Amino acid sequence: MKKRTWLTILFLATFALSLSAAFKKEDVKVHQLDNGLKVLLVEGHDIPNIALFTFFRVGSRNERPGLTGVSHFIEHMMFNGTPKIGPGEFDRRMEFRGGSNNAYTADDLTAYTDWFPAAALEAMIDMEADRMQGLAFVPEVLESERGVVASERRMSVENNNEGILNENVRATAIMAHPYHWDVIGWMSDILSWRRDEIMAYYKTYYAPNNAILVVVGDFEPARTLDLVRKYYGPIKASPPPPPVSTTEPPQMGLKNVLIRKEAQAPSFMAVWHAPSAKDADYLPISILAKPLLEGESSRLYRRLVREEELAIDIGGGAQETIDPLLFMIYVKPRPGADLDKIDRVIEEELAKIKTGGITADEFEKAMNIIRNDFYRGLQTISGKANQLGTYELLYGDFGKMFTIMDDYAAVKLETVREVAKKYFTDSNKTVGKLIPEGGAK
Amino acid sequence: MKTPILKPLVIALIAVLAAPAFAAEQLPSPDKIVLKNGLTVYYLRNADVPLVSFRMIVRGAGSAFEPAGADGTAGMAATLLTKGTAKMGAEALAEALDFMGASLDVTAADEYAQVSGDSLSLHFPRLMEIAAECLTAPSFKEEEFAKERARRIDGLKAAKDNPGSAVRSYFRKAYFGGHPLGHLAGGTESSLKKMTVADVKGYYALRFRPDRSVAAIVGDIEKDKLLALLDATIGHWANPAGAAPPDAIPPLPKPKGKKLLLVDKPDATQAYFVMGAPGYAMGDKITPQAAVMNTLWGGRFTSWFNTELRIKRGLTYGASSFFWTWAAGGLFQATSYTKNDKIGEMLDITFGLLGKGGREGFAAEEIESGRNYIQGQFPPTLETNSSKAASYVRLAFYKLGFDYYDKYLAAIANVSAEAAKAAAAAYLPRNDYVLVVVGKAADIRPLLKKYGTWQEKKISDPDF
Repeated sequence: MKKRTWLTILFLATFALSLSAAFKKEDVKVHQLDNGLKVLLVEGHDIPNIALFTFFRVGSRNERPGLTGVSHFIEHMMFNGTPKIGPGEFDRRMEFRGGSNNAYTADDLTAYTDWFPAAALEAMIDMEADRMQGLAFVPEVLESERGVVASERRMSVENNNEGILNENVRATAIMAHPYHWDVIGWMSDILSWRRDEIMAYYKTYYAPNNAILVVVGDFEPARTLDLVRKYYGPIKASPPPPPVSTTEPPQMGLKNVLIRKEAQAPSFMAVWHAPSAKDADYLPISILAKPLLEGESSRLYRRLVREEELAIDIGGGAQETIDPLLFMIYVKPRPGADLDKIDRVIEEELAKIKTGGITADEFEKAMNIIRNDFYRGLQTISGKANQLGTYELLYGDFGKMFTIMDDYAAVKLETVREVAKKYFTDSNKTVGKLIPEGGAK
Repeated sequence: MKTPILKPLVIALIAVLAAPAFAAEQLPSPDKIVLKNGLTVYYLRNADVPLVSFRMIVRGAGSAFEPAGADGTAGMAATLLTKGTAKMGAEALAEALDFMGASLDVTAADEYAQVSGDSLSLHFPRLMEIAAECLTAPSFKEEEFAKERARRIDGLKAAKDNPGSAVRSYFRKAYFGGHPLGHLAGGTESSLKKMTVADVKGYYALRFRPDRSVAAIVGDIEKDKLLALLDATIGHWANPAGAAPPDAIPPLPKPKGKKLLLVDKPDATQAYFVMGAPGYAMGDKITPQAAVMNTLWGGRFTSWFNTELRIKRGLTYGASSFFWTWAAGGLFQATSYTKNDKIGEMLDITFGLLGKGGREGFAAEEIESGRNYIQGQFPPTLETNSSKAASYVRLAFYKLGFDYYDKYLAAIANVSAEAAKAAAAAYLPRNDYVLVVVGKAADIRPLLKKYGTWQEKKISDPDF
C-alpha cells in the first residue's frame, strides 16, 4: 500500500473533534403512547418542511411460502384506500397540500416516507394514523395493484440479469430462513395471494405496538405530540406478532449457481453467510468491505478492473439485518471474461486479508468512508428521519446512531483479520454465474 | 418501493423546478470571490455538518462540442482528468481520494463539463489540492486511456441487457440525429474504437479553461481559510493561449410527422417506450406554466399519465413525463413500460391523454394542487451543501440570477388554468414526435403496426 504521511497525522489529531456534529442525541424527544407506538421528534427550522417517516417491524423476513412478497404488496396497498379515504385519495390529498411520499420494503422493515410543507402536518398525521388501522383492500383495486407489482418484478428481476442472478444465488445460499426469497417475492405468489390472507397479514403487523413514528423538521413539539395522541391514541394495540424462529443451518459445502441465458454480457457474484447487525462481528466485517470493495483504490477494483481487466465494475458488502444475511461481492464482468478467473482473484485477495489482515491505512480509510456517508445522511430532514427510524428498528435504540462511530473506531485491526478467517471459507460460500448464450453474439 | 427514483427524472426536475419561494429567499446569497486568474467562486458557509462541497461548471466542454461521430470525447477527457497527473498516477489519486472517503468526479454534460468534489471539512484542503492538480496538469497517459476506453466499450454492451436504460440512448440518437445534443457522453462502440488519446488531450487543451468556468463552495469552511486555499490551488489554473473555441449550440431539431423506431430485444418480457417532442429553453418565460402542466400531466404520482397507466389499470410500475432544458432549447419526454402484449393498449392511452391535455386543459382544483405541489416540494431540493453549490453554478451558467427560484415560485403561484392549457397545447405532441420502443419484436410488432411505419434495429447491433 501507499504510504500515508501528513494526512494520517492530521486525521488522528482531529478525529475526536469532527465527531461532535451539530446533531445530538438530546435533540431527539422520545415518547411512547399507551398503545405502544414509539414517537421520535426532532425540531429544526432550516426549511419550512417536515419529514414524517413511519417504520413497521415487518418485511420479507416475516413471510412464508405462498405469501412471499406480501409485505411489499401491502406497502403498495397502503396508498389504495381505507373506509375514510378512498383509493388514490392519500396521494391526491397529500400532493394537493404540497407533499410527496415514497415507501420501501426491506427484508426486516417497511417504511413510509412523507415530506411536506409544515402546514400539512395535521392532515398527514390524520391520514397516516388512518391507514395504520383500516385498509379497505377493495377487490378490483387489489387486482390492479397486483399488476403493478408484477410489472415491478418484471422490471427488476425478469428483465435484469443481475436481478435474476441475485435471486437465484440468495435462494441457493439461504436454505431455511425466510431470507431465502427476495423482498419482491416469487411471481406465482404475486399472482395468487388471496385477499383474506393479505388482510390477516396486515392486521398482524400493522399496529401501533409494531411501529415507530419519526418526525423531523419545522414543527412545534408539544403541539405535534398532541396531534399524535389525538389521531394515534385511539388505535388499539395488537397481539405481538409471532417471532421468526427459523435459524439458518450451517452450510455444509461450497454451492454453485450457473445460469445460461440470452445476454450481451455475463454476470457474476459471490456471497458468504454473514453476521447480523447486532453481532459483534458486524462492524469488523463492514470495515473490511471498504478497502476490499469501495472506490477505485480498493483491492478488488484494482485487481479485477484495472490490472487484469476482467470486470467493468464491482461492488458489494455486508447488510445490516436482524438475522444473519449475506456478505455479497458483485462483479460486472467484461463480455467474454473468464468467470473462474474472477473467482480465483477474489479468493486470492481474501486469502491475503485472512493471513495479513488489512493495513492501518486501510482501516483509517474505512473509517473516513463511513464518516462521510454518515454525515451526508444527516444533511436533510429526510436523512435524519431515516437513520433514526432504522437504528430504532434494527437495534431497538435510536441512540445507537450517536455512538456507532465510536464503536467503529474501537474495532481492533486484528479483529478484522479474524473475522475474515471466520466468514470467508469455501463451505460458507455460494458462487453465481450468468453466461450469455443464444441470440447474442 | 412504491416509486423508483429515476435519475434522469431527478435531473430534469432540478432543471425545470429551478425555483421556489414564499417569504424567505430559497437560495441564500453567496459571497462572490474572483480569483487572480479570473475564475469566479461563489461561497456560502454552512457549519451544520463537518462537510464541504465544491462544484464547478466548465462552459463549452460538454459532449455537444465534440466533432461529429466522436461521441464520448468530452466524457473521456473529463474522466481522464482524475486518472493521472504530473505528480500522481491513477492509483495514487484514487488512493488519496478514497483514503479521505472523499469524492472527486469530472463528468461531461451536454453544454458543459462539471467538477464535483465532496469531503469532510478536515480533508477539504487536500481535496482542492488534488482537484487543482487534476485540472492543471493531467497526464493523459496512453495506458489509462486504453483501459478506460476498453471498460467503456464493454460497459456499453452490458448496458444493452437493461432495456430501461438502453431505450434512453436509442431515443437520444433517434430524436437528435446528427445534432450536437445527440452526442452520447458515454460514447458509442464505433466512436470509442476510433478515438485516440490525442483527440482527448486536444479536447481538454482547447476547452477546459478558467475564463469559461464558474465554481461554488458550500460547507463548513471559514472564508479566510478558503481564500488562501483557492489562491494556492485552482487560482493557479492558467488560461490557455489563443481564443476560446465556439460554445454555441444550434437550434434544436423539430420533428415533422412521426418517427418510429422499434429495437428488437428477443428475451424482453416487457416493452419500454420513450417518446419526445420539442420543449422550451432553460429560463424561458413559459417555464412556470409548463411546469404546472407537466406536474399534472406526467410529473408526479397522481398525474394523469401515472393514474391511467398505473393506478387505474396496473399496466406498469411507473409512467412519467418531464422537460429537458438547455440554453438553446428543450425537449418534452414521456416514458413507461408494460408487458409485451399490453404495449398497444398503453400507447393508445398515452396518445389519448396527450390529445386531452391541449384540448380540455385542467380543472381549477388540479391547477391549485399542481401549484401547491411544486412550491411545497421545492425547499428540500436545496437542503444539502452539494445541491446549493450545484444551483449556484447552474444559475450562473444560465445567467438567471440567484433570485431566480424566488421569482419562479412567485410565478408558479399565479399560473392559471388557461396558461397551463396553453402549455399543454404547445408541448404535448399529437402529430409530430419521435417514438422509440425496445421489446421483443416478434410479439409486439403486430401491436405497433397501426401507428405507422417503423424502422427496426436489433439490440445486438453495435451502437444505438
